[in-house]
Amino acid sequence: MRWRWTMAAIPAGLGLLAAWWMRTDQRPDPILHLRADLPAVITVLSLAFLIVSGVVLMTVSWVRRQAAKRVGEARFQAAEERRRLLRRLDHEFKNPLMAIRAGLANLVPALVDPAQQETAASIESQALRLGRLTADMRKLVELETRPLEQAQVDLAHMLEEVIAAAREQPEAQDRHLQLAVPRVPWPLPEVRGDGDLLALAVHNLVDNALKFSEPGSVVEVRGFEDGTAVVIEVADTGTGMPAEEIPLVWEELYRGRHARATSGSGIGLALVRAVVERHGGQVSIQSREGQGTVVRLRIPTR
Amino acid sequence: MVNRPRILLVDDEPAITTNLAAFLERTGFEVSVGQDGEEAITKLASLAPNLVVLDVLMPKLDGREVLRRLRQAGDWTPVILLTQVGESAERAMALEEGADDYLNKPFDPHELVARVRSVLRRARPGQPPLTSAHRLTSGALLLDRGSRRCWLGGAELVLTPKALALLEYLVTHPDELVSRDRLLDVVWGWDYPTGTRAVDTRIAELRRALDDDPAQPQYIETVPGQGYRYVGEVEVAP
Repeated sequence: MRWRWTMAAIPAGLGLLAAWWMRTDQRPDPILHLRADLPAVITVLSLAFLIVSGVVLMTVSWVRRQAAKRVGEARFQAAEERRRLLRRLDHEFKNPLMAIRAGLANLVPALVDPAQQETAASIESQALRLGRLTADMRKLVELETRPLEQAQVDLAHMLEEVIAAAREQPEAQDRHLQLAVPRVPWPLPEVRGDGDLLALAVHNLVDNALKFSEPGSVVEVRGFEDGTAVVIEVADTGTGMPAEEIPLVWEELYRGRHARATSGSGIGLALVRAVVERHGGQVSIQSREGQGTVVRLRIPTR
Repeated sequence: MVNRPRILLVDDEPAITTNLAAFLERTGFEVSVGQDGEEAITKLASLAPNLVVLDVLMPKLDGREVLRRLRQAGDWTPVILLTQVGESAERAMALEEGADDYLNKPFDPHELVARVRSVLRRARPGQPPLTSAHRLTSGALLLDRGSRRCWLGGAELVLTPKALALLEYLVTHPDELVSRDRLLDVVWGWDYPTGTRAVDTRIAELRRALDDDPAQPQYIETVPGQGYRYVGEVEVAP
């Protein structure tokens, strides 16, 4: 950087030196007389100004583009590093977990004491839990990178199926699970993408809504058209969450204060976000502690 | 005990081989253990096992390479690869390499026993397994796995990629009871409690395309409360 300033200072230094030399050289008349055609001078000056400002503007936008490119590259790199970490974790956990499960399969038939059997069963369920967690992380990485199936998805039909499946869950028995999708004057438009993955995303949200609400609560799933997108909302009158937790809920393995008491891998919402973003959409969440939560998925129709 | 099937179990992790070998022995197999790919090759030649359980990631020679060399040498000993079956690229590779089946670590050891038994039952001595065949026929159905197309009585069927992958798995595992969870795992790459509905939807799509009556199935049979079974006769097509 310093050499550039030095280069810039050279013409100024030379000019000053020449002026000093002319003054001290006792020349009779160190004055340059110039006659020029005024319109020509104006033309030359305006062209010179145009060139200078053009160069300045191009430099500024080039610098900005470079900076944006660097930010983009850094983000891409960070995402890649995160994916590599998740893959490695999955890989490093796999063998120890496999050894534990195989060991237990040998041990369990030999146990006669009910207390020991109970211990073995609890170790097994914890090994299964860890296995699910690492598998979920791997699936998340896969979801972010593998090619997406592209088919027309009838969202209204998909929502009906998800609700029908959710109604079979034990938590749904004492909660009011409702679905609202438009039929007139026209139904929900179709979107392009992977219907099974979209169903998985909505299922995760309905599952959360059922888990984090008391018996008697209302869980409402709504679908509507908004400009060039379909919006799916999953709303509940559940426990809600404090404002400071809201920005963090989309991160993998994040568990809110209320969520710690409830079973789950902590990967559900990260998965939902990955599915929706792969469809070019966005996710958002609103929540009030003690009142409930609404999660919004916006999926473009084109 | 006579005529216990001989299994060669190859994995570089002693904690796994020790425990799995003991488990497989107890469930009625004779087990030898290899620690890496090179040992797998030598033991395959000296022991002539009925089946090999092969881990993919190993030092010296990985499981893929062992399998490739084996098949190139015309050795069709059934192989179960321990790999990630969820990713479609991995699945395609397993097909190219001629594995008979694959399992994701960590798996339920009982599931391995079930896989081993069904692979041994399916195996046709000295012949390539259905799982590595590029074209398969079953009645009026022709499945070209290389180009991912299929025909029924000469007319091409238009299937979604998932339905085709599902059909492919069922056709290559004929006469085998496959649970919805296993199908979700191998075809979709993920499972969740109500995901089994996704399987049922695609099976319904397949039945419509194949004009298969669930009450009197020619291709796909429903095993109530358990899963599905491919009942058609499957052969390798020229």
